[in-house]
Amino acid sequence: MSKKINKIIQAIFPALLMVSGALLTGAILIIISGNDPIAAYAALLEGAFSNSYRISETFVKAIPLMLMALGVSIAFKNQIWNIGAGGQFTIGTILSVIVCLYFKLPPIPTIILSFIFAFIGGALWGGLAGWLKARFNANEVITTLMLDYIATYLLAYLVYGPMMDPNGFGYPQSAVIEKVLRLPKLIVGGRLHTGIFVAIAILFLMLLFWRSTLGFKIELAGQGNDVSRYAGIDNKKIIVITMLLSGGLSGIAGWNEIHGIHLRLMTDLAGSYGSIAIVIALLGNLNPLGIAISAYFFSVLIVGGNTMQNLTGIPYSLVDIIQGLIVVFVITRTAFRTESIQTFFRKRRYQHNG
Amino acid sequence: MRNITKIFGHLKANDAVDFKLRENSIHGLLGENGAGKTTLMNVLYGLYRQEEGEIYIHGQKTDIVSPLKAISSGIGMVHQHFMLARPLTVVENIMLGRKSSRGIFLDTRKVAAEIRELSDRYHLMVDPYARIWQLSVGQQQRVEILTTIYQGANILILDEPTAVLTPQEAETLFSILRQMRDDGKSMILITHKLEEILSVVDDVTILRDGKMISSFKVTPATTKEELSRLMVGRDVLFDFNPAAVKPGKERLGMKDLRVKNDKGLPAVNNFSLSVSEGEIVGLAGVDGNGQKELAEALTGLRPAEGGKIFINGIEAENKPPAFFIHQGVAHIPEDRQNMGLAMGFCVSKNLIIKRFCQQPYAKNGLMNYKNIKNHAQKMIQDFQIKTNSTEDITRDLSGGNQQKVILARELADEPSVLIANQPTRGLDVGATEYVRSRLLEARSKGAAILLISADIEEIIQLSDRIAVIYNGELMGILPKGSQPETIGLLMMGKRQGENTGVKENQ
Repeated sequence: MSKKINKIIQAIFPALLMVSGALLTGAILIIISGNDPIAAYAALLEGAFSNSYRISETFVKAIPLMLMALGVSIAFKNQIWNIGAGGQFTIGTILSVIVCLYFKLPPIPTIILSFIFAFIGGALWGGLAGWLKARFNANEVITTLMLDYIATYLLAYLVYGPMMDPNGFGYPQSAVIEKVLRLPKLIVGGRLHTGIFVAIAILFLMLLFWRSTLGFKIELAGQGNDVSRYAGIDNKKIIVITMLLSGGLSGIAGWNEIHGIHLRLMTDLAGSYGSIAIVIALLGNLNPLGIAISAYFFSVLIVGGNTMQNLTGIPYSLVDIIQGLIVVFVITRTAFRTESIQTFFRKRRYQHNG
Repeated sequence: MRNITKIFGHLKANDAVDFKLRENSIHGLLGENGAGKTTLMNVLYGLYRQEEGEIYIHGQKTDIVSPLKAISSGIGMVHQHFMLARPLTVVENIMLGRKSSRGIFLDTRKVAAEIRELSDRYHLMVDPYARIWQLSVGQQQRVEILTTIYQGANILILDEPTAVLTPQEAETLFSILRQMRDDGKSMILITHKLEEILSVVDDVTILRDGKMISSFKVTPATTKEELSRLMVGRDVLFDFNPAAVKPGKERLGMKDLRVKNDKGLPAVNNFSLSVSEGEIVGLAGVDGNGQKELAEALTGLRPAEGGKIFINGIEAENKPPAFFIHQGVAHIPEDRQNMGLAMGFCVSKNLIIKRFCQQPYAKNGLMNYKNIKNHAQKMIQDFQIKTNSTEDITRDLSGGNQQKVILARELADEPSVLIANQPTRGLDVGATEYVRSRLLEARSKGAAILLISADIEEIIQLSDRIAVIYNGELMGILPKGSQPETIGLLMMGKRQGENTGVKENQ
């Protein structure tokens, strides 16, 4: 048992170290700018937890971030950089709204169909990049990024053009989905909705997924082309499957945001979620539980950051800086892990033992 | 070097080692992996500081604090992995990090002339203006040697220099070393190959577990058995003398097989061979004559351009790798680290990467990690894999133990066919002996084994029949007990039956 606890500590410790490193560096920057770091972080915490609305907001933001980061993590396990989670998310939102506005079906089938369409849409958007990689060896960083732009501008075209709300006074947005199609609220005066149960269910599914043979195949493919082919795996097929699943989860995040929060299409729904999802996935060490915790941490930063700006005058950019620092730490750690001093010494020890 | 002790953590990598290099000599430093050879040389080259002991160069006590100091003391090191900038030319590489005699301008022409002169003196055959990536591995190694000589080294340390060379290239290297010795330089040859000690070395020092075991002059009376006993600490079996097994029906067949290499050029041409149940067919050949491509075609990893492959009597050319796995074709690949193992996986997962979808390792699409762990514990015991636990990352294992993981995985299910490509390359004597005995055991259990090796001795020791490949073609099939010279001739491209004597060939 104590071995298990040891293992958990070993897994969490680096993440804690990176986060505290980022927060400390942030504190130094606050001091340099002539402010009190304790007051700033206190304001940040206050902004995130001081009342039930704010607490509910931390969960509201965490849901899409976690779903997208889970999606990104599937690609990472196969050594694929899915930069375009935002685009896959956007396609999910578009298809959800299309189903809700134009498919004249009873409420329950509509919600289910919307979910399926959002998943398939996100999956195809990611899978397309996967197929391009498998078929033409196209670099996925480029293709997912470009598909991200295509999705963003497709959304803009739709809300300025064919899907613009006729009664919307010319705002670039679609009509609102019907009340019965919305996910019920969980608390009065907050935005937290039942979509959180869907997110938790998917979190558990992901835990199970990494114990499945398909999960093993994806991890093995991530160990290198040669070894996975040698083990009898069809690499090209696995690349496409990886990206289908990776994109599909971001599509579900889109469904969740439409039915729970936005209720309609607007320009730039994805914001910078796609890039934050990458940081979350890496900070969470590609582990589903780690990702859930990391997503919540980032959500607290985002929600609290706004209040901090209002209360102390320290700009919201501090949150961006902390995010950036975590990226730097995460990348440093990854670099250390592959050709690390640690393994250098470990190797040495083994060589002398054996 | 006197009384050198170097400690890593709790471990004495070098324990009061004495080492004496005579001028004008080639000195072999022999020991198994982990015996402390490289550590000792890194101390001499200033990469490590010793805890105890002194170094004397030409009788003078010298404190070698850094490689820079070593170089200025006339010590040069040729590493196992070359330290060359591939896009640059030879002369540019040698000039890297050195002051130019023309101030801020490069003195390329002057250095190139000096290099050409040095190269001619030792018959290194290095063109100063060739780019590194255009050179063969043997040539790159000679560039490294040239660099150290150019820096003024008269004591050269060579860390397992032949590990990356073909037998021919190794022979060239040895004649260069002899020439340099006659020219007044001294060399230290780190190795665990006994043949090298016997053929080029003047003195030998043997290390075991960080201690100096013995140091003596090599004479014609020195035997391999003697060296290996000192090195391993017990008698090593060199003659397996396998009992002849009567081969059964054909398990692996090739008919006019043609395979291309990565560049799209023909690598295997009209190759026909058959391996039967309970038989080891050795395939001898110098590296790069199509062995890798052949092995990959026989396991579905590379398409066959023409001809046929039969596995257990079934036509199998261009079937996917999974087909071969299901037919019980085991494969010990040449490239262990990229193909044979998922280096980032733990040992227990690596032991099942070919069977992870099958019971008892998986059921209804979910992995059963309890059974996988139990299997790993059994394999670690059966195959004597040295590891702390089943969950150790494979990358952290020593080379010999990594090969044992592959061996355990490939032999655990009693394969019907085994393609073993260079199964003992780079392994120390103990591990080599172990791998070979396991191959014989697999044969006695009925496996049809194709043993691909550039090591003629290995081929002779283990094979029931000996096939020779040259330039992708089958040169001939020789019976058990053939002489190394006969095999060597075929390896050099002389077809069986061609009336060519050794003398004419030279």
